[in-house]
Amino acid sequence: MTDSAGQGRGSGLRLLLTHALLILVCLVILLPLLWVLRVSLLPPSLSYSTDLSAPLSLVNFESLFSGRFPRSYLNSLVVATGSVLLALPFAAATGYAFARFTTGGAVARFSVLATQMLPPVVIALPIFQMFQTLDLSNTLTGLILAYAALNLPFLTWILMGFFKGIPVDLEWAAMTDGATAWGAFWRVVLPVSLPGLAAAGVLGFILAWNEFLFALILSGPNTATIPVALAALQTSNGIQIGDVAAGVVLAVLPLMIASRFIQRFIVEGLTLGSVK
Amino acid sequence: MASIELRGVSKRYPNGLYGVRDIDLKIRDGEFVIFLGPSGCGKSTTLRLIAGLESVTSGDLLIGDQSMVGVPPRDRDVAVVFQSYALYPHMTVAANMAFGLKMRKMPRREIATRVDRAADLLGLSHLLTRKPAALSGGQRQRVALGRAIVREPKVFLFDEPLSNLDAQLRAEMRLELVKLHRRLGRTIIHVTHDQIEAMTMGDRICIMREGRLIQSGPPLEVYANPVDTFVARFLSSPPMNLLPAHLEVDGDGLTVKLGEAIRLAVPERHVPAYRAVAGRPVTFGLRPEDIHEQPPAPTQQGFEVQVVALEALGAETNLVAQPTASGALPEITARLGRQARARTGETVTLYPDLLSMHLFDPETGAVIPRPPLDAPR
Ligand SMILES: Nc1ncnc2c1ncn2[C@@H]1O[C@H](COP(=O)(O)OP(=O)(O)OP(=O)(O)O)[C@@H](O)[C@H]1O
Ligand SMILES: [Mg+2]
Repeated sequence: MTDSAGQGRGSGLRLLLTHALLILVCLVILLPLLWVLRVSLLPPSLSYSTDLSAPLSLVNFESLFSGRFPRSYLNSLVVATGSVLLALPFAAATGYAFARFTTGGAVARFSVLATQMLPPVVIALPIFQMFQTLDLSNTLTGLILAYAALNLPFLTWILMGFFKGIPVDLEWAAMTDGATAWGAFWRVVLPVSLPGLAAAGVLGFILAWNEFLFALILSGPNTATIPVALAALQTSNGIQIGDVAAGVVLAVLPLMIASRFIQRFIVEGLTLGSVK
Repeated sequence: MASIELRGVSKRYPNGLYGVRDIDLKIRDGEFVIFLGPSGCGKSTTLRLIAGLESVTSGDLLIGDQSMVGVPPRDRDVAVVFQSYALYPHMTVAANMAFGLKMRKMPRREIATRVDRAADLLGLSHLLTRKPAALSGGQRQRVALGRAIVREPKVFLFDEPLSNLDAQLRAEMRLELVKLHRRLGRTIIHVTHDQIEAMTMGDRICIMREGRLIQSGPPLEVYANPVDTFVARFLSSPPMNLLPAHLEVDGDGLTVKLGEAIRLAVPERHVPAYRAVAGRPVTFGLRPEDIHEQPPAPTQQGFEVQVVALEALGAETNLVAQPTASGALPEITARLGRQARARTGETVTLYPDLLSMHLFDPETGAVIPRPPLDAPR
């Protein structure tokens, strides 16, 4: 009905209203980001100025790069990537088992989900204690382990859904064609699920990239990740808003790239064409 | 040797439902068997059990006289065309067909030869480098068929492999499969809903219903001697006419009484078999092609009907008609020749050929046995 209505009279007004609403929503979402972008490009003295003609400068970025920020950036990259690479194989295996077999029953499935419902603080303290004893606090390895653990249930859940969507006939075909159960997984299920794995990986990356609480407790000056480094810019001299804005802009960059990927992977349904 | 034997095979799913139940079936090496039955009767389940994709709940399954319990699908040397095709989406058509051969470590040259030959046979040669997503439904189905054919396994399991093809292609592929069977002599189980495939392709038809195997035999024999009303109606289109009737003694002979007024004499050769049920209500069955506009024999009695509808199919005409005699009789269908003279609305006389009659128990639907007519050849 709405399709044909698009051709009719009065549709112009409707189109206008729709777009006005969309633009409004976009502005609500975009304005803060645009403001941050602008502040990052203004000299600190003009940070709060409303003068739209103020001259732009890269001084904030320069000051950021002269400090510890590049180090933190690298830390974040290493930790986010490392934790995803570590968690993904386990999540894939568990997700596949959950999707195809009755392994663990509803209890196992729920407990995986339940870990996501706990407030992070609840596990933060025990983890801190544990990592202290194991000499893992203040190390990137520790952070990678912690984030892998955080990511595991989340990725498992996502991948379970993805594997469920792959018709079991595909594996059966591979098995009658001479593959073992493992071979069917490796040669058919895995290649078919690559987009899903990539999408899950990107989501896990974002999760780790933005994480603050654990990073704060578990990292030291040399192992701080971006969120911690940005928070540290609130010094006793007040918030260095220019530096923070520049840091946020840099922090958002990989997420923007990631979101492009994720769109492509999720939209691209690779199983298309395998079954009727 | 690849005979297949099912001994009391049942498959019970975790939800408590049975996919198949107590199937006893012996398929000879090299036999071409058709599975026929309504949707959900367990045809695909049976194939999955034979292929080893699902485990048998009870009973025993043998391939080539060896029990298959615990034998994984890859060691059964069985090729399956799945009802859903199940093509590998990340592989080209050629790679799809080659996969099974590669898994069996066949030399590349041999693989290429076989894939080319199958592609040629199925009219897929120009599509070899495409991925399944870029194929039409019928093309996908032929790839699925090709993937099975190239393997030349001991046993082929075809799950409605021609369902998505147009009429002409279907006729061609039907012929190709029959030729393939003749050339390779492998055991084939072929599931179909198609009348012509069922009657013409196989050595034997197995008719299933609600998870059970209810009749199996050569197509024409099953057609001529259905074991119950279900088979009688299922195996032909239009289905067999079934009418409530009463079997009465008439001197030395027997009479079928339809409604209040129609009386048809049972042919002498059927009288001995039917005498036991004389005086009882029965279900009278007669195929549409056994009802004629002209009496098949001069003494043959007919009955009056009013023509409800005519379906002229070119080579033949299906006539749907309501018997005019009182007694709440259902409509009947007659299959007449091209030159059927009846017109819609008219009242005409039709002549049943009672030599081909069947009687069924009205309660259970089971046939009341009589000696078979010689199967027409
Ligand atoms: N995994 C399953 N769990 C529970 N029940 C199942 C499962 N698979 C099949 N069934 C049931 O088993 C019965 C037989 O299914 P099957 O797929 O063998 O039917 P079919 O004869 O192939 O039908 P169709 O002609 O529609 O393909 C159906 O009633 C179906 O609902
Ligand atoms: Mg089926």
